[in-house]
Amino acid sequence: MNEKMKEWFMKRVPFNQEKASKVMSKIFLEEPIPKHMKNWYYALGATPLILFGFMVVTGILLTFYYIPSPNKAYNSVRYITEEVSMGYWIRGIHRWASNLMVIAIILHMVRVFFTRGYRKPRELNWIVGILMFAVTLTLCFTGYSMVYNQLSYWAATVGTNMIKEIPIVGTTILDFLRGGQEVSSNTLTRFFNLHIGFLPTLLFILIIIHIVFIRMHGVSKLEGKEDDEETYSFYPEHFYHTIIVALFLITFISALTIVLPPGLGEPANPNITPAHIKPEWYFFAVYSILKFVPLKIGVFLILALVIAATFWPFIDDMLRKKWPKIKIHYLVGSLTIILFLFFTVYEILVH
Amino acid sequence: MNEENNPHDKSRRKFLSKLFMGGGLLASFALITRNGIKYIFPSIESTPLRKLLVGKDDKIKIGEVKEVQVGESALYLIKNKDGYKVFSSVCTHLGCKVKWEDYRNRFYCPCHKGVFDSHGNVIEGPPPRPLDEFKVEVDKNLVYMWIEEKSTETV
Repeated sequence: MNEKMKEWFMKRVPFNQEKASKVMSKIFLEEPIPKHMKNWYYALGATPLILFGFMVVTGILLTFYYIPSPNKAYNSVRYITEEVSMGYWIRGIHRWASNLMVIAIILHMVRVFFTRGYRKPRELNWIVGILMFAVTLTLCFTGYSMVYNQLSYWAATVGTNMIKEIPIVGTTILDFLRGGQEVSSNTLTRFFNLHIGFLPTLLFILIIIHIVFIRMHGVSKLEGKEDDEETYSFYPEHFYHTIIVALFLITFISALTIVLPPGLGEPANPNITPAHIKPEWYFFAVYSILKFVPLKIGVFLILALVIAATFWPFIDDMLRKKWPKIKIHYLVGSLTIILFLFFTVYEILVH
Repeated sequence: MNEENNPHDKSRRKFLSKLFMGGGLLASFALITRNGIKYIFPSIESTPLRKLLVGKDDKIKIGEVKEVQVGESALYLIKNKDGYKVFSSVCTHLGCKVKWEDYRNRFYCPCHKGVFDSHGNVIEGPPPRPLDEFKVEVDKNLVYMWIEEKSTETV
């Protein structure tokens, strides 16, 4: 029976099974991994991917109950959190996974930055990585705007108004996102559309491009050890490494959800901005800058930083040619981390 | 020579069919894009002005600030020595709602700590310009203000 089914299938989907399995094995199982990857810190590339997987699954489940309408969104989230069986767990995983994904991407970027993993010929993959980080932050922003509590509403108002300040295209992007003059039902449905459709698809495509680039160039070896570092194959050791990370993450996120369940906050009120309002922690640095400098300069600084980060591999290359003895990436990387931590901790401590 | 076998005719026919094919595709693409853009960006009509009675002149003291609720938005009517002023409650920085703090005689925006005085001028924080003002008029002891009639729903 089995043979018959196989024959039936092979007639309809004719392909060389032996050749395909050889190719697949070469691509996925025998990928040469440099020995330094046995260190756990080097599993941080797979961590966001695993978290993205968790978010896709929990996100699909959340859409079973979520209603993207200003009058019903908040109540549907409350219903998921308080009444649907295991709803708080699904929402908690979605929320905590998004926070951990931002942390994991930052740590992965720090690792790549300090080991200069972006150096020739991997510059384009760094740019893909920056794009992925930007898409992730946009997913986070559109995600917490959908709860339609006070934070959602005012974050959406402030965030979209900031976009307006981007030179040339700002107003067009603002109109596209809001679908009107103010944050309205059009804005919520557009955010919902972006959050569950366009952005995850874009991120998925970027992940594939990122992995294809890694497979084409091979995993970057440590600088100065390019020739003599030993390698081992992806399967089984690194594969198990990834499975352990996945198992750890689901346990850790479940524990976080139980200890710190996702809150609801006050329902959105377009008439009153609450006395104490702040965005999520990963936007604290941006929030802080906007408090202390004029709006146009603030937006200009943020844009300049994004452009510099995107093209850093080329900037670094130019600077190293000029000052070959100075490790500029150490200086720039350390300064960025110190400033980011300073503003983030400052906003946590100050009302 | 037979007309159909003429190589000039063939190449002309090829060129014309490519031209019409390409032109047709380009035109339809342009039309689809135009319609798509029109669909995505809703037309924003200018909002008509409306005159609204807010109080009696002799009942409002100098220095008094009155919060007037118009539909979904709050406006502030202030009587200064030199007359009335009506301010929008939308912060000129990033669009949060300012609140009048009577005990400090100021408007305060909680989002990025912007502060405005009773004349709507920025006195602290990042707002780039004073609060937006609305036209106000006093007619036979009655105070009116002119406000925009919003047609879009906020919530």
